[in-house]
Amino acid sequence: MEIISIIAFIILAPFIGGMLAWLDRKITARMQGRVGPPVYQPFYDVLKLLQKESLVVRRSQNFYMGFFLIAVIFTGALFFAGENILLVIFALTLADIFFVLGAYKASSPYSFAGTQRELLQMMAYEPVMILSAVGMYMVTKSFYIKEIVFFKSQLVFYLPGLLFAFLYVLAIKFRKSPFDLSTSHHAHQELVKGVTTEFTGKTLAMIEVAHWYESVITLSFLYLFFGHNPVSALAAVAAGFFLVILIDNTFARVRWQLVLMSSWAIAVVFGLGNIFILFFILK
Amino acid sequence: MASLKKSPWIVHYDGSSCNGCDIEVVACLTPVYDVERLGIINMGNPKHADVLLITGAINEQNREVVRNLYEQMPDPKVVVALGTCATSGCVFADCYNIVGGVDKVIPVDVYVPGCAVRPEAIIDGIIKSLEILEQKNKTLRDMASGAKEITIGTAGVEDAPDILALQKLAYRSEAEIYSDHTIPYMAQSPEDLKRDFEGMTFFKAVMNEKMIGSVRTFTENGICYISGLMVNPVYHHHGIGRRLVEYAETHAAGAKKFEIFTFHKSRQNIVFFQGLGFKIFKREKASGNRVRVHMEKQVKV
Repeated sequence: MEIISIIAFIILAPFIGGMLAWLDRKITARMQGRVGPPVYQPFYDVLKLLQKESLVVRRSQNFYMGFFLIAVIFTGALFFAGENILLVIFALTLADIFFVLGAYKASSPYSFAGTQRELLQMMAYEPVMILSAVGMYMVTKSFYIKEIVFFKSQLVFYLPGLLFAFLYVLAIKFRKSPFDLSTSHHAHQELVKGVTTEFTGKTLAMIEVAHWYESVITLSFLYLFFGHNPVSALAAVAAGFFLVILIDNTFARVRWQLVLMSSWAIAVVFGLGNIFILFFILK
Repeated sequence: MASLKKSPWIVHYDGSSCNGCDIEVVACLTPVYDVERLGIINMGNPKHADVLLITGAINEQNREVVRNLYEQMPDPKVVVALGTCATSGCVFADCYNIVGGVDKVIPVDVYVPGCAVRPEAIIDGIIKSLEILEQKNKTLRDMASGAKEITIGTAGVEDAPDILALQKLAYRSEAEIYSDHTIPYMAQSPEDLKRDFEGMTFFKAVMNEKMIGSVRTFTENGICYISGLMVNPVYHHHGIGRRLVEYAETHAAGAKKFEIFTFHKSRQNIVFFQGLGFKIFKREKASGNRVRVHMEKQVKV
C-alpha cells in the first residue's frame, strides 16, 4: 500500500504540479483580463529547457540542484508513505538547503541576494510548520501522517489558529507575492531571478520539476488539516491555492523584515496561542 | 521538438532607444496583445532567455553590454532587432557616438522595422524568429551527433584570437581543480600566444566555421612535445580531443617520441592520454603543491 502511494506520488506529482503551475498562470491572466497560456505551457517550458545549452559558473552548482530534486522527491515519498511528519519537515528543509547551496556555489551577486532571502524565508515559515506538527500531535497523539490523516474528526476544529498561520506562510512556500523575495516567475529588476539566476538548460528544468513536487507536498500538508473528509479537504486545498493566487495578484512585494516579523508574530500569536488553548481544553 | 517554438522566453535590452519601441514591447504584455497566450514570457535574465529583443541603435558605451548579453544566452538563441534604429541606426547612424544597427555587434536573425515598431509587428517578428530558433537547434543537434563534419587542420596566426577565447573557456575546468585561476593557459595574453606561433605548430578542429578545439606541438631533439590540448566543453565526449592528438602525431615530422605533461589531480587527462598509449615516466614537484606528471609514447616504426 505504501509502496503504491510512493510510486503514485513520484509519477503523478510532476503532472499535478505542472497543472498547478498552469492554473496559477491561467488564473492570474484571467484576473488581469488576459487570455493566458495554453494548458501544456509548463510542460513545453520544461521540455524546451531540456534542449538548451547548459552554461555554468562552476560545474558543481548543478550537482547541488540534482540533490535538491532528489531530496524533494524523498520528502514527498516520506509524506505519502505516511511517515513521521517531523521527518518530512526536516527533509523538506534539507532539500531547500541544497537549493540554497547550489545558488551559493554559482557565486553571482544576484544569486547571493536570492540565497540570503531564501534563508530568511525558510526562517519565516519553519516555525509555523513545526508548530503545526506539534498541534497535530496534541490532537491525534501521533506524529505519523498515516494516523493524522485518518483521525476520527476534522483537525481544523482543533487547530484554526494554526491553519491561519499555515495559510499565511503558504505564500512564502510558493514564493508568491508579497513574499517572492528570493526568486519569482516574474522579472525583478534588482534581483534578476534571484536563486535561479545562474542556472540554465537541464538544471533549470530540474529546478522547475522540483518546484512542482514541492507545491504538491505543500498542498498535501494543507490537506492534513481537513483529512477527515476527503471531499471537503480537496475543496479546502483548492480554496487555499486560489487564495495564494489572489493574494499574489493583489499585493505588492514587502520587505524581508516584514516577512520575518509578521510570520513569526503570527506563529506566536495564532500558532502558539492555538497550542496553548488546546493544552487546557484537552487536559 | 516543437516545444522550443512554444515557449520562447525573452530578454529585452534598450540600446539607445527613445523609449518609443520599449513602450510598444511592454504593450505586448498587456491584455490587448497578451503574448503569454503564445507562451512568451519576459524573463529579464539572459541566461534563461531564448530570444534577445533589442530596441534602439548601438552606441560606443553599450556595444560591450550587448555582446555580453548575447554571449550569456545559452544556445540555441536568436536576436530580433526592433525598430528602425536597431535595424540600421536610422537618423542617428552618423552620430559620433553611434556604432549603427545591432548587426554591427552581434548577428541579427530578424529585422523588424518601424518607428515606433507596432506591437503586431513585434509579435510577428518573434514568431518569425522561432522558425530560425528551431532551425538553429537542429543544426546544433546535427553538430553534436555527427562528428564527421569536423575538419582538423593546421592553424595560423590569424586563428590566435579564437584559440585564446577557446582556451580560456576550456581550461576553466583545470583552473577549478586546482582553485587557481592564474594557470598559464588562463592567464596567457594575446601577444604571448602570438609569440608561441613562432616556435610551435598549431592545429585546430573546426565545425561549421567555428573553432571547437585546438592543440599545439613543437619538436626538439627528436622529441615532439604536445601541449595546449583543448576542446570546447559543449563538444566533450565526441572524440574530438583524440582526433586532434592523432592528427598532431601524424604531422610531427622527425619525431621519435611524444611527450606531454599534466598535473596530478587531473585524472581525466591522465586517463585520456593512457587511452592514447601514453605512459607515465616521471613525476616532479611543481609550484603550488602540484605534482607535474610527465607521460611519453614512442613512435611506432
